[in-house]
Amino acid sequence: MTTAPASVTPVDSDSGAVEACGRRPLLFMTGSAIAWLVASGVFSLIAGIQLHAPGFMADCPIFTHGRVQALAETSFVYGWLANAGLALVLWILARLGGEPLRAASWIGAGAFFWNLGVTLGLVGIAFGEGTAIPLLQFPLAVQPLLLVSYGAIAVGGVLAWTGRRRVVMYASHWYGVAALFLFPWLFSIAQVMLLWFPVRGTLQAVVAGWYEQGIWTLWLAPLALAAAYYVVPKARGAVLGSYDFASLGFWCLLFVGAWTGGRHLIGGPVPAWISTIAIVAASTLLFHYAIVWINLRGAGCAGGPALKFIGFGLFAYVLGGLGDALSAVRGISEVTQFTHFDQAQHQLAFTGAISMMLIGSVYYALPRLTGRAWAYGGLVRAHLALTALGVLVLVAALAAAGIVQGRDLMQPSVAFAKIGSDTAPWLLLASAAQAVLLLGNVLLLVNFFKSALCPFYAAAAASIRRPAALEARAS
Amino acid sequence: MKNGALLFLGLFAALGVSWAGIVLGSSRQFGALAPFYDGGSDQSFPAGMPGAAARGQLVYRDLNCASCHTQQVRRPGYGDDQARGWGARQSVARDYIYQPFVQLGDSRIGPDLANFSARAPSAPDAAIIYSLLYNGRGSMPAYQFLFETQKISGEVSSHALQSSAGIQAPAGYEVVPTERAEALVAYLLSLSSPFDYPESVPAAPPKDEKAPAAASGAQAAAPAKPAETKK
Amino acid sequence: MSPSQPNDPTFQPAAMTDEELLASHEKLLEPQPDERARYPILPLALLFFFSGLILFAATYLNRYSGRYDPTVFNENSLPLGKGKEAKVDPVAFGKRLFNQSGACVTCHQATGQGVPVVYPPLAGSEWVNGPDERVISILLYGLQGTVHVTSKSFSAAVMPSFGPSGFNWSDDKIADVLTYVRQEWGNKAPPVTPEQVAAVRAKDGSHPAWSEGDLLQIK
Repeated sequence: MTTAPASVTPVDSDSGAVEACGRRPLLFMTGSAIAWLVASGVFSLIAGIQLHAPGFMADCPIFTHGRVQALAETSFVYGWLANAGLALVLWILARLGGEPLRAASWIGAGAFFWNLGVTLGLVGIAFGEGTAIPLLQFPLAVQPLLLVSYGAIAVGGVLAWTGRRRVVMYASHWYGVAALFLFPWLFSIAQVMLLWFPVRGTLQAVVAGWYEQGIWTLWLAPLALAAAYYVVPKARGAVLGSYDFASLGFWCLLFVGAWTGGRHLIGGPVPAWISTIAIVAASTLLFHYAIVWINLRGAGCAGGPALKFIGFGLFAYVLGGLGDALSAVRGISEVTQFTHFDQAQHQLAFTGAISMMLIGSVYYALPRLTGRAWAYGGLVRAHLALTALGVLVLVAALAAAGIVQGRDLMQPSVAFAKIGSDTAPWLLLASAAQAVLLLGNVLLLVNFFKSALCPFYAAAAASIRRPAALEARAS
Repeated sequence: MKNGALLFLGLFAALGVSWAGIVLGSSRQFGALAPFYDGGSDQSFPAGMPGAAARGQLVYRDLNCASCHTQQVRRPGYGDDQARGWGARQSVARDYIYQPFVQLGDSRIGPDLANFSARAPSAPDAAIIYSLLYNGRGSMPAYQFLFETQKISGEVSSHALQSSAGIQAPAGYEVVPTERAEALVAYLLSLSSPFDYPESVPAAPPKDEKAPAAASGAQAAAPAKPAETKK
Repeated sequence: MSPSQPNDPTFQPAAMTDEELLASHEKLLEPQPDERARYPILPLALLFFFSGLILFAATYLNRYSGRYDPTVFNENSLPLGKGKEAKVDPVAFGKRLFNQSGACVTCHQATGQGVPVVYPPLAGSEWVNGPDERVISILLYGLQGTVHVTSKSFSAAVMPSFGPSGFNWSDDKIADVLTYVRQEWGNKAPPVTPEQVAAVRAKDGSHPAWSEGDLLQIK
């Protein structure tokens, strides 16, 4: 072995043979995910600053607010969440199945082309080829590439599931397999109905809403829950409470969650039944959140930062679901619709819930992939503190800004310039929170470099260094 | 759950049923909406989008203006869109059938644009919009990259913007909007809902015996409100 | 196990193997021995909770779905029933017609006050609030000559015809604009129906513009 820094090779009670084949692609996906997390943080920060200082980077067409907003959202979801979620799901399915990950080269190629597609898509959005559809901003030309590369990645996961040695299925199987299958179906239907053969009029908005909510309830939430359901009992050593209801929660999420598509079309130019069904589905979904809470509560109580991340994310997940149901009621959405309050809910769900659960799971999984612990324990703790603080302040500030904006919008005498100045202090606070989040994620990136890449390069260098003559110059 | 096939079928059913209900159901209801023929004026509404306006919508889309502007007016009694002069009635599905890429938007950092060219009390004209794009206002940034400041060589360009519109060019230079800016302005000036379709301002429906008294009160109040709302 | 401290941030040890994870959870799904012969409360609580959610969902759907009709955009409305066309609210439509440029508002003003000597007011006008047939006739055929409204006289302009010899408005439009005028600016007169307009049209055919004296003959 190389003269690695003072980290101890961790001994895990499970055999490491499972990772033998899949190690490289999964590490590549995790590394790209973290890089995308930092990149999206930069874009979010720029977009956030522009809300209260509109002149910031306004001269540069690439960073005009609309495009930067699209860049931030796309790189966060399809760069960070997709890569991290898929890597974790693949790893977990292989682990639970008890067989090494198959089709590793497919996964590697798929991951490479997925990230290439995301990069090309972001370049396209920056130069004005974006579609202005929330969560489907990619230029049309890039979308088939993304679909095919996702298929290549998912192949490994599906094979790990169908070819598993241990026949028993667990909650992580259900959520993981759901995420693997549902995304391509959602993505291709939305592509066809919105971009290849666009449907007429506001039906586009209905399809876009169905897709956006589908991405949240049928893809991202399952990715995060698959990881949480695996890491929490393994790390705590305790069986999940009331696990016999977990399948009810799963099916509730799938069958009810898919009907929340009209959630953002309340009062919009679509027949009223679409948003009524969405409101009803959002409240019925509380059953799913209740069961997830019953199963996974206490995740963050005892344990290291990894479990604390997951616990925080879980709390944010359930709180977000409750907030979603309450704010869907027409009396409240009358004030909060179209305001920063919607953005606050979005951040609570994406950054607070899904992202934190995946970060915690990455902190748990990476040492098993690399075979060595994280390099800097202090950075891990700092990341936890910064992220928790950042999410709390961001959500609270955006919610306050949204309520102020909503109240002002309801009074017709208040001009938009005044609304801007009323919300500016809160938006400034939100930008500060985004800067804190970005700092925390940069710490993660540094930690990843040191933990995964540096030893990798050191090992590679060691394998090609010439003997004796260079011994004196050995690191 | 032991059965893998059952899981797969369940996934398919969950997605398929919701797609059928929401998307397919909506498609059958208003996926092929036709324009409304008004016998009195012998015209169909909405009118198709002229070419310059359709190109302008592409510019609107590429700049992602929908991230700050909505294009949907809510009904009277839900929020206060009417009092802000954004539109006398609720936007309905028929308003959007000839828009290639509907830009409903979901955020009102800036005002709603559904009836921008028919804004009460005073409708904007091209000069006002150019000034707005060039200088920005409030939370809206300046979009100076949509304009070119070029040296006057020979005659002043016929497209050049006058300084009376709040745009100051340095001496010897003129500010000319790019083709994208002109298309965008043409699009914004085409945004209006000139006709009240029957479904957009429905008369009070016949009283339903099963509905509670509050419901019939709300129904009676809702159509009466547009007449009472002062501009 | 590695000699790491409890809660070591660099490594979260696993406290059970994958085999144990699967087996222990699978065991929970099997029928449990009823040790203390007590019914566990949780399934009952979840059942009540779910039933409550379904009750709310059903009530809300019943109340606000607009019977899933594609023409219902206001969740408080009900569709009109099969076979009926949604009718435009006559007052709102009438207001729109009134305010069209080149139509009523140009002369009678948005306040209904008109212009002294030139255009009579509509607010508080005895002609507007008078017999239906009289005001319908004015619109259908126009009015020329001097007319006395609210004790003032107006002679400088001619009221054009909105009927067959003029703007050729349909019965619906004439009825709607009259309905609007008759409830605006303090006027309180009953609405006018298209059938009444059609009856006047049928009775008088193509009539030249009315004068005040002839109009006052209409009761």
